[in-house]
Amino acid sequence: MSFELKEKGNQLFKEGDYSGAEELYSQAISKNPREPTFFTNRALTRIRLEKWADVEQDARAAISLYGSKNASSLKSCWYLAQALLGLQRPQEAYEVAIDAYRASLAAKNLQTENLSKAVLRAKQQIWAHKETARLREMNGTLASVEALIESDLNRALAELQEKLDREEIGQIGFIEDQKALREDAEKNTQNVRDAFRIASNGDIQERVVPDYLVDGITFEIMHDPVITPSGTSFDRIGIQKYVEQAGVDPITRASMTVNDLRPNYALKAACEEFLNKNGWAVDW
Amino acid sequence: MFAGKRLSKELLKMKEHLPPGISIAKSENLEEWQMDIQVLDENPLYQNQVYRLKFTFSSKYPIEPPEVQFIELSSTSETPRPIPIHPHIYSNGIICLDLLSSAGWSPVQTVESVCMSIQSMLTANTRDERPPGDSDFVSYNRRRPRDINFFYDDDNV
Repeated sequence: MSFELKEKGNQLFKEGDYSGAEELYSQAISKNPREPTFFTNRALTRIRLEKWADVEQDARAAISLYGSKNASSLKSCWYLAQALLGLQRPQEAYEVAIDAYRASLAAKNLQTENLSKAVLRAKQQIWAHKETARLREMNGTLASVEALIESDLNRALAELQEKLDREEIGQIGFIEDQKALREDAEKNTQNVRDAFRIASNGDIQERVVPDYLVDGITFEIMHDPVITPSGTSFDRIGIQKYVEQAGVDPITRASMTVNDLRPNYALKAACEEFLNKNGWAVDW
Repeated sequence: MFAGKRLSKELLKMKEHLPPGISIAKSENLEEWQMDIQVLDENPLYQNQVYRLKFTFSSKYPIEPPEVQFIELSSTSETPRPIPIHPHIYSNGIICLDLLSSAGWSPVQTVESVCMSIQSMLTANTRDERPPGDSDFVSYNRRRPRDINFFYDDDNV
Protein backbone atom coordinates (compact mmCIF):
# COMPACT_ATOMS: atom_id res chain seq x y z
CA MET A 1 0.00 0.00 0.00
CA SER A 2 2.67 2.50 1.04
CA PHE A 3 4.76 1.42 -1.97
CA GLU A 4 1.87 2.21 -4.28
CA LEU A 5 1.84 5.73 -2.88
CA LYS A 6 5.55 5.97 -3.60
CA GLU A 7 5.01 4.80 -7.20
CA LYS A 8 2.35 7.45 -7.68
CA GLY A 9 4.70 9.98 -6.15
CA ASN A 10 7.44 8.99 -8.60
CA GLN A 11 5.00 9.47 -11.45
CA LEU A 12 4.13 13.00 -10.33
CA PHE A 13 7.82 13.74 -9.81
CA LYS A 14 8.53 12.75 -13.43
CA GLU A 15 5.75 15.03 -14.56
CA GLY A 16 7.29 17.90 -12.61
CA ASP A 17 4.53 18.14 -9.98
CA TYR A 18 6.89 18.32 -7.02
CA SER A 19 4.35 19.52 -4.44
CA GLY A 20 2.02 16.66 -5.40
CA ALA A 21 4.84 14.14 -5.22
CA GLU A 22 5.93 15.48 -1.83
CA GLU A 23 2.42 14.99 -0.48
CA LEU A 24 2.27 11.36 -1.67
CA TYR A 25 5.69 10.52 -0.23
CA SER A 26 4.55 12.05 3.07
CA GLN A 27 1.50 9.77 3.06
CA ALA A 28 3.75 6.79 2.33
CA ILE A 29 5.99 7.76 5.23
CA SER A 30 3.09 8.06 7.67
CA LYS A 31 2.02 4.51 6.70
CA ASN A 32 5.56 3.13 6.91
CA PRO A 33 8.18 5.30 8.60
CA ARG A 34 10.88 2.58 8.41
CA GLU A 35 11.39 2.61 4.64
CA PRO A 36 14.46 4.75 3.70
CA THR A 37 13.61 5.16 0.00
CA PHE A 38 10.46 7.13 0.93
CA PHE A 39 12.72 9.62 2.69
CA THR A 40 15.31 9.78 -0.11
CA ASN A 41 12.63 10.37 -2.71
CA ARG A 42 10.97 13.05 -0.62
CA ALA A 43 14.37 14.64 -0.02
CA LEU A 44 15.03 14.86 -3.77
CA THR A 45 11.57 16.36 -4.31
CA ARG A 46 12.25 18.92 -1.62
CA ILE A 47 15.61 19.74 -3.22
CA ARG A 48 13.65 20.69 -6.34
CA LEU A 49 11.38 22.82 -4.14
CA GLU A 50 14.42 24.23 -2.34
CA LYS A 51 12.94 23.43 1.08
CA TRP A 52 16.37 22.99 2.55
CA ALA A 53 15.44 22.50 6.22
CA ASP A 54 13.07 19.69 5.22
CA VAL A 55 15.69 18.14 2.94
CA GLU A 56 18.07 18.05 5.88
CA GLN A 57 15.54 16.16 8.04
CA ASP A 58 14.68 13.65 5.31
CA ALA A 59 18.32 13.00 4.39
CA ARG A 60 19.25 12.47 8.04
CA ALA A 61 16.27 10.15 8.52
CA ALA A 62 17.27 8.08 5.47
CA ILE A 63 20.90 7.88 6.61
CA SER A 64 19.93 6.62 10.05
CA LEU A 65 17.50 4.05 8.57
CA TYR A 66 20.17 2.73 6.20
CA GLY A 67 22.86 2.95 8.88
CA SER A 68 25.66 5.41 8.20
CA LYS A 69 28.12 2.62 7.34
CA ASN A 70 25.86 1.37 4.54
CA ALA A 71 26.90 2.44 1.03
CA SER A 72 23.22 2.96 0.14
CA SER A 73 23.24 5.97 2.44
CA LEU A 74 25.81 7.83 0.29
CA LYS A 75 23.19 9.34 -1.97
CA SER A 76 21.42 10.73 1.08
CA CYS A 77 24.74 12.18 2.23
CA TRP A 78 24.92 14.02 -1.08
CA TYR A 79 21.39 15.35 -0.51
CA LEU A 80 22.32 16.32 3.03
CA ALA A 81 25.38 18.23 1.81
CA GLN A 82 23.20 20.12 -0.69
CA ALA A 83 20.71 20.97 2.08
CA LEU A 84 23.44 22.27 4.37
CA LEU A 85 24.82 24.39 1.53
CA GLY A 86 21.31 25.73 0.91
CA LEU A 87 21.06 26.54 4.61
CA GLN A 88 24.37 28.41 4.46
CA ARG A 89 26.11 25.94 6.80
CA PRO A 90 29.16 25.17 4.63
CA GLN A 91 31.41 23.81 7.37
CA GLU A 92 28.93 21.05 8.20
CA ALA A 93 28.32 20.46 4.50
CA TYR A 94 32.04 20.07 3.98
CA GLU A 95 32.38 17.51 6.76
CA VAL A 96 29.43 15.45 5.50
CA ALA A 97 30.67 15.59 1.91
CA ILE A 98 34.31 14.76 2.58
CA ASP A 99 33.49 11.76 4.80
CA ALA A 100 31.00 10.48 2.23
CA TYR A 101 33.47 11.11 -0.60
CA ARG A 102 36.05 8.89 1.11
CA ALA A 103 33.51 6.17 1.84
CA SER A 104 32.18 6.35 -1.70
CA LEU A 105 35.67 6.04 -3.13
CA ALA A 106 36.36 2.99 -1.03
CA ALA A 107 33.04 1.39 -1.98
CA LYS A 108 33.44 2.34 -5.67
CA ASN A 109 30.03 3.96 -5.38
CA LEU A 110 28.46 5.97 -8.20
CA GLN A 111 28.10 9.04 -5.97
CA THR A 112 31.84 9.77 -5.90
CA GLU A 113 31.74 12.39 -8.65
CA ASN A 114 28.76 14.24 -7.13
CA LEU A 115 30.34 14.16 -3.69
CA SER A 116 33.61 15.44 -5.10
CA LYS A 117 31.73 18.43 -6.52
CA ALA A 118 29.91 18.97 -3.21
CA VAL A 119 33.27 19.12 -1.42
CA LEU A 120 34.43 21.88 -3.77
CA ARG A 121 31.15 23.78 -3.42
CA ALA A 122 31.41 23.65 0.37
CA LYS A 123 35.00 24.90 0.26
CA GLN A 124 33.89 27.75 -1.93
CA GLN A 125 31.11 28.75 0.45
CA ILE A 126 33.44 28.57 3.44
CA TRP A 127 35.80 30.88 1.61
CA ALA A 128 32.98 33.27 0.69
CA HIS A 129 31.98 33.59 4.34
CA LYS A 130 35.56 34.26 5.40
CA GLU A 131 36.06 36.71 2.55
CA THR A 132 32.97 38.66 3.60
CA ALA A 133 34.21 38.88 7.17
CA ARG A 134 37.67 39.92 6.02
CA LEU A 135 36.44 42.66 3.69
CA ARG A 136 34.08 44.07 6.29
CA GLU A 137 36.79 44.14 8.89
CA MET A 138 39.06 45.98 6.49
CA ASN A 139 36.57 48.70 5.77
CA GLY A 140 33.87 49.95 8.12
CA THR A 141 32.02 51.89 5.43
CA LEU A 142 31.79 48.81 3.24
CA ALA A 143 30.45 46.84 6.20
CA SER A 144 27.66 49.33 6.86
CA VAL A 145 26.66 49.54 3.17
CA GLU A 146 26.56 45.76 2.97
CA ALA A 147 24.52 45.61 6.17
CA LEU A 148 21.99 47.94 4.54
CA ILE A 149 21.70 45.69 1.49
CA GLU A 150 21.29 42.70 3.75
CA SER A 151 18.55 44.20 5.91
CA ASP A 152 16.79 45.36 2.76
CA LEU A 153 16.91 41.81 1.47
CA ASN A 154 15.62 40.37 4.74
CA ARG A 155 12.72 42.81 4.79
CA ALA A 156 11.76 41.88 1.21
CA LEU A 157 12.05 38.18 2.02
CA ALA A 158 9.81 38.58 5.06
CA GLU A 159 7.18 40.36 2.96
CA LEU A 160 7.33 37.57 0.44
CA GLN A 161 6.89 34.99 3.18
CA GLU A 162 3.78 36.85 4.39
CA LYS A 163 2.35 36.81 0.89
CA LEU A 164 2.89 33.07 0.77
CA ASP A 165 1.25 32.63 4.19
CA ARG A 166 -1.76 34.66 3.06
CA GLU A 167 -1.76 32.46 -0.07
CA GLU A 168 -1.51 35.43 -2.40
CA ILE A 169 1.26 33.59 -4.25
CA GLY A 170 1.96 29.90 -4.85
CA GLN A 171 4.93 27.83 -3.72
CA ILE A 172 6.64 27.95 -7.15
CA GLY A 173 6.25 31.72 -7.48
CA PHE A 174 7.56 32.12 -3.94
CA ILE A 175 10.71 30.17 -4.77
CA GLU A 176 11.30 32.11 -7.96
CA ASP A 177 10.81 35.52 -6.31
CA GLN A 178 12.98 34.51 -3.40
CA LYS A 179 15.74 33.51 -5.77
CA ALA A 180 15.47 36.76 -7.73
CA LEU A 181 15.67 38.85 -4.54
CA ARG A 182 18.76 36.96 -3.37
CA GLU A 183 20.44 37.33 -6.75
CA ASP A 184 19.71 41.06 -6.81
CA ALA A 185 21.19 41.52 -3.36
CA GLU A 186 24.23 39.48 -4.31
CA LYS A 187 24.78 41.61 -7.40
CA ASN A 188 24.47 44.81 -5.38
CA THR A 189 26.96 43.55 -2.85
CA GLN A 190 29.35 42.59 -5.62
CA ASN A 191 29.07 46.03 -7.23
CA VAL A 192 29.74 47.76 -3.95
CA ARG A 193 32.75 45.53 -3.32
CA ASP A 194 34.11 46.18 -6.79
CA ALA A 195 33.75 49.92 -6.26
CA PHE A 196 35.50 49.72 -2.90
CA ARG A 197 38.22 47.54 -4.31
CA ILE A 198 38.97 50.02 -7.09
CA ALA A 199 39.01 52.84 -4.56
CA SER A 200 41.39 50.96 -2.29
CA ASN A 201 44.50 51.82 -4.34
CA GLY A 202 45.94 48.75 -5.97
CA ASP A 203 44.56 46.20 -3.54
CA ILE A 204 43.03 44.53 -6.59
CA GLN A 205 44.27 40.95 -6.75
CA GLU A 206 44.76 39.33 -10.09
CA ARG A 207 42.69 36.17 -10.38
CA VAL A 208 44.89 33.49 -11.89
CA VAL A 209 45.03 29.79 -11.08
CA PRO A 210 48.57 28.46 -11.48
CA ASP A 211 48.80 25.63 -14.03
CA TYR A 212 50.42 23.23 -11.57
CA LEU A 213 47.22 23.16 -9.49
CA VAL A 214 45.02 22.40 -12.50
CA ASP A 215 44.18 18.83 -13.46
CA GLY A 216 45.20 17.99 -17.04
CA ILE A 217 42.05 15.94 -17.65
CA THR A 218 39.14 17.88 -16.16
CA PHE A 219 40.97 21.25 -16.32
CA GLU A 220 39.69 21.98 -12.82
CA ILE A 221 41.63 22.78 -9.71
CA MET A 222 42.51 19.49 -7.97
CA HIS A 223 41.06 18.54 -4.64
CA ASP A 224 42.25 14.92 -4.38
CA PRO A 225 45.45 14.78 -6.44
CA VAL A 226 47.13 11.44 -7.12
CA ILE A 227 50.43 10.74 -8.86
CA THR A 228 51.10 8.18 -11.63
CA PRO A 229 54.22 6.00 -11.82
CA SER A 230 55.64 8.39 -14.42
CA GLY A 231 55.38 11.25 -11.94
CA THR A 232 52.48 13.33 -13.23
CA SER A 233 49.66 14.32 -10.88
CA PHE A 234 45.97 14.30 -11.76
CA ASP A 235 42.75 14.71 -9.85
CA ARG A 236 41.54 11.26 -8.81
CA ILE A 237 38.12 11.40 -10.52
CA GLY A 238 39.39 11.80 -14.09
CA ILE A 239 42.53 9.68 -14.02
CA GLN A 240 40.72 6.81 -12.33
CA LYS A 241 38.10 6.73 -15.10
CA TYR A 242 40.79 6.81 -17.77
CA VAL A 243 43.08 4.18 -16.24
CA GLU A 244 40.17 1.81 -15.59
CA GLN A 245 39.33 2.03 -19.26
CA ALA A 246 42.72 2.29 -20.96
CA GLY A 247 45.04 0.56 -18.50
CA VAL A 248 47.95 2.86 -19.38
CA ASP A 249 49.63 5.98 -18.08
CA PRO A 250 48.24 8.90 -20.13
CA ILE A 251 51.67 10.46 -20.56
CA THR A 252 53.98 7.50 -21.21
CA ARG A 253 51.43 4.86 -22.29
CA ALA A 254 53.23 2.38 -20.03
CA SER A 255 50.71 -0.10 -18.69
CA MET A 256 49.40 0.59 -15.19
CA THR A 257 46.37 -0.01 -12.98
CA VAL A 258 44.35 2.14 -10.60
CA ASN A 259 46.36 0.59 -7.75
CA ASP A 260 49.50 2.30 -9.04
CA LEU A 261 48.02 5.71 -8.23
CA ARG A 262 49.39 7.25 -5.04
CA PRO A 263 48.00 10.26 -3.21
CA ASN A 264 50.10 13.38 -3.61
CA TYR A 265 49.77 14.99 -0.19
CA ALA A 266 52.07 17.95 -0.78
CA LEU A 267 50.17 19.00 -3.89
CA LYS A 268 46.91 18.47 -2.06
CA ALA A 269 48.06 20.84 0.66
CA ALA A 270 49.08 23.38 -1.98
CA CYS A 271 45.68 23.16 -3.68
CA GLU A 272 43.91 23.49 -0.34
CA GLU A 273 45.89 26.50 0.67
CA PHE A 274 45.19 28.14 -2.66
CA LEU A 275 41.45 27.44 -2.40
CA ASN A 276 41.32 28.73 1.16
CA LYS A 277 42.65 32.04 -0.06
CA ASN A 278 40.89 32.06 -3.42
CA GLY A 279 37.44 30.49 -3.18
CA TRP A 280 36.45 31.99 -6.55
CA ALA A 281 38.80 29.44 -8.15
CA VAL A 282 36.15 26.72 -7.78
CA ASP A 283 34.13 28.45 -10.49
CA TRP A 284 37.14 29.26 -12.58
CA MET B 1 30.72 13.88 -16.59
CA PHE B 2 33.10 16.75 -17.05
CA ALA B 3 33.09 17.12 -20.88
CA GLY B 4 31.17 20.40 -20.92
CA LYS B 5 33.28 22.16 -18.37
CA ARG B 6 36.52 20.95 -19.85
CA LEU B 7 35.52 22.04 -23.38
CA SER B 8 34.44 25.49 -22.26
CA LYS B 9 37.82 25.92 -20.59
CA GLU B 10 39.65 24.75 -23.71
CA LEU B 11 37.67 27.25 -25.74
CA LEU B 12 38.48 30.07 -23.33
CA LYS B 13 42.18 29.26 -23.55
CA MET B 14 42.12 29.02 -27.34
CA LYS B 15 40.36 32.36 -27.64
CA GLU B 16 43.21 33.89 -25.68
CA HIS B 17 45.96 32.32 -27.67
CA LEU B 18 46.48 29.88 -30.54
CA PRO B 19 49.65 28.81 -32.35
CA PRO B 20 50.21 30.31 -35.83
CA GLY B 21 48.25 28.65 -38.65
CA ILE B 22 45.44 27.38 -36.38
CA SER B 23 42.14 29.17 -35.84
CA ILE B 24 38.62 28.50 -34.61
CA ALA B 25 36.03 28.39 -37.40
CA LYS B 26 32.95 27.29 -35.47
CA SER B 27 32.34 26.63 -31.78
CA GLU B 28 28.74 27.52 -31.04
CA ASN B 29 28.02 24.39 -29.04
CA LEU B 30 29.92 21.83 -27.03
CA GLU B 31 29.23 18.88 -29.35
CA GLU B 32 30.90 19.93 -32.58
CA TRP B 33 33.66 22.41 -33.39
CA GLN B 34 35.37 23.30 -36.63
CA MET B 35 38.98 24.41 -36.83
CA ASP B 36 40.93 25.90 -39.74
CA ILE B 37 44.54 24.89 -40.19
CA GLN B 38 47.29 26.03 -42.51
CA VAL B 39 50.74 24.69 -43.27
CA LEU B 40 53.13 27.55 -42.68
CA ASP B 41 56.39 26.51 -44.35
CA GLU B 42 57.16 26.29 -48.03
CA ASN B 43 55.74 22.80 -48.64
CA PRO B 44 54.45 23.03 -52.25
CA LEU B 45 51.68 20.47 -51.58
CA TYR B 46 49.83 22.75 -49.20
CA GLN B 47 50.89 26.28 -50.04
CA ASN B 48 48.30 29.04 -49.72
CA GLN B 49 45.61 26.60 -48.69
CA VAL B 50 43.38 26.50 -45.64
CA TYR B 51 41.88 23.20 -44.48
CA ARG B 52 38.84 22.63 -42.27
CA LEU B 53 38.81 20.06 -39.46
CA LYS B 54 35.61 18.91 -37.79
CA PHE B 55 35.75 17.77 -34.13
CA THR B 56 32.83 15.81 -32.69
CA PHE B 57 32.81 15.27 -28.92
CA SER B 58 30.99 12.61 -26.94
CA SER B 59 29.95 13.06 -23.32
CA LYS B 60 32.95 10.92 -22.39
CA TYR B 61 35.49 13.42 -23.74
CA PRO B 62 38.37 13.67 -22.78
CA ILE B 63 38.42 10.11 -21.43
CA GLU B 64 37.54 9.06 -24.96
CA PRO B 65 38.97 10.74 -28.06
CA PRO B 66 37.03 13.25 -30.15
CA GLU B 67 36.11 12.20 -33.67
CA VAL B 68 38.26 14.27 -36.03
CA GLN B 69 38.13 14.52 -39.80
CA PHE B 70 38.66 16.98 -42.61
CA ILE B 71 35.57 18.38 -44.30
CA GLU B 72 35.31 19.87 -47.77
CA LEU B 73 33.75 23.23 -48.60
CA SER B 74 33.32 23.70 -52.35
CA SER B 75 35.81 25.80 -54.30
CA THR B 76 33.02 28.21 -55.21
CA SER B 77 32.12 29.00 -51.61
CA GLU B 78 33.42 32.09 -49.84
CA THR B 79 35.76 29.96 -47.81
CA PRO B 80 36.86 27.08 -50.03
CA ARG B 81 38.28 24.18 -48.01
CA PRO B 82 39.68 21.19 -49.94
CA ILE B 83 40.75 17.85 -48.41
CA PRO B 84 44.56 17.90 -48.16
CA ILE B 85 46.49 15.29 -50.12
CA HIS B 86 48.39 12.94 -47.81
CA PRO B 87 49.11 9.19 -47.73
CA HIS B 88 47.15 8.96 -44.44
CA ILE B 89 44.17 11.11 -45.37
CA TYR B 90 41.39 9.56 -47.44
CA SER B 91 39.66 11.73 -50.01
CA ASN B 92 36.48 11.76 -47.89
CA GLY B 93 38.42 13.51 -45.12
CA ILE B 94 38.94 10.54 -42.79
CA ILE B 95 42.35 10.66 -41.14
CA CYS B 96 44.40 7.64 -40.18
CA LEU B 97 46.29 8.90 -37.15
CA ASP B 98 47.22 6.82 -34.13
CA LEU B 99 46.52 9.48 -31.54
CA LEU B 100 42.88 9.73 -32.64
CA SER B 101 42.17 6.05 -31.98
CA SER B 102 40.93 4.83 -28.60
CA ALA B 103 44.21 3.02 -28.10
CA GLY B 104 46.43 5.95 -29.02
CA TRP B 105 44.43 8.71 -27.36
CA SER B 106 45.44 10.33 -24.10
CA PRO B 107 43.16 12.61 -22.07
CA VAL B 108 45.94 15.16 -21.76
CA GLN B 109 45.60 15.86 -25.48
CA THR B 110 43.48 18.88 -26.36
CA VAL B 111 41.80 20.24 -29.48
CA GLU B 112 44.78 22.53 -29.84
CA SER B 113 47.36 19.74 -29.52
CA VAL B 114 45.45 17.56 -32.02
CA CYS B 115 45.42 20.44 -34.52
CA MET B 116 49.16 20.88 -34.02
CA SER B 117 49.82 17.17 -34.59
CA ILE B 118 47.81 17.19 -37.80
CA GLN B 119 49.49 20.41 -38.90
CA SER B 120 52.92 18.88 -38.43
CA MET B 121 51.81 15.66 -40.11
CA LEU B 122 51.08 17.75 -43.22
CA THR B 123 54.23 19.86 -42.88
CA ALA B 124 56.46 16.79 -42.85
CA ASN B 125 54.82 15.10 -45.83
CA THR B 126 56.45 15.06 -49.28
CA ARG B 127 54.30 12.43 -51.03
CA ASP B 128 51.59 13.67 -53.35
CA GLU B 129 49.35 10.63 -52.89
CA ARG B 130 46.27 9.20 -51.16
CA PRO B 131 46.32 6.07 -48.98
CA PRO B 132 46.36 2.75 -50.85
CA GLY B 133 42.83 1.61 -51.68
CA ASP B 134 41.44 5.13 -51.32
CA SER B 135 38.71 4.90 -53.96
CA ASP B 136 37.43 1.55 -52.59
CA PHE B 137 37.48 2.82 -49.03
CA VAL B 138 35.66 6.02 -49.94
CA SER B 139 32.92 4.26 -51.90
CA TYR B 140 32.34 1.38 -49.47
CA ASN B 141 33.01 2.84 -46.03
CA ARG B 142 29.85 3.59 -44.08
CA ARG B 143 31.44 3.38 -40.67
CA ARG B 144 32.27 6.28 -38.43
CA PRO B 145 36.00 7.00 -38.16
CA ARG B 146 36.22 5.72 -34.58
CA ASP B 147 34.90 2.30 -35.56
CA ILE B 148 37.51 1.70 -38.22
CA ASN B 149 40.50 -0.44 -37.31
CA PHE B 150 43.38 1.14 -39.10
CA PHE B 151 46.69 -0.62 -39.39
CA TYR B 152 49.37 1.81 -38.37
CA ASP B 153 51.90 -0.01 -40.48
CA ASP B 154 53.86 2.97 -41.63
CA ASP B 155 55.31 5.28 -39.02
CA ASN B 156 57.54 7.23 -41.35
CA VAL B 157 55.01 9.66 -42.72
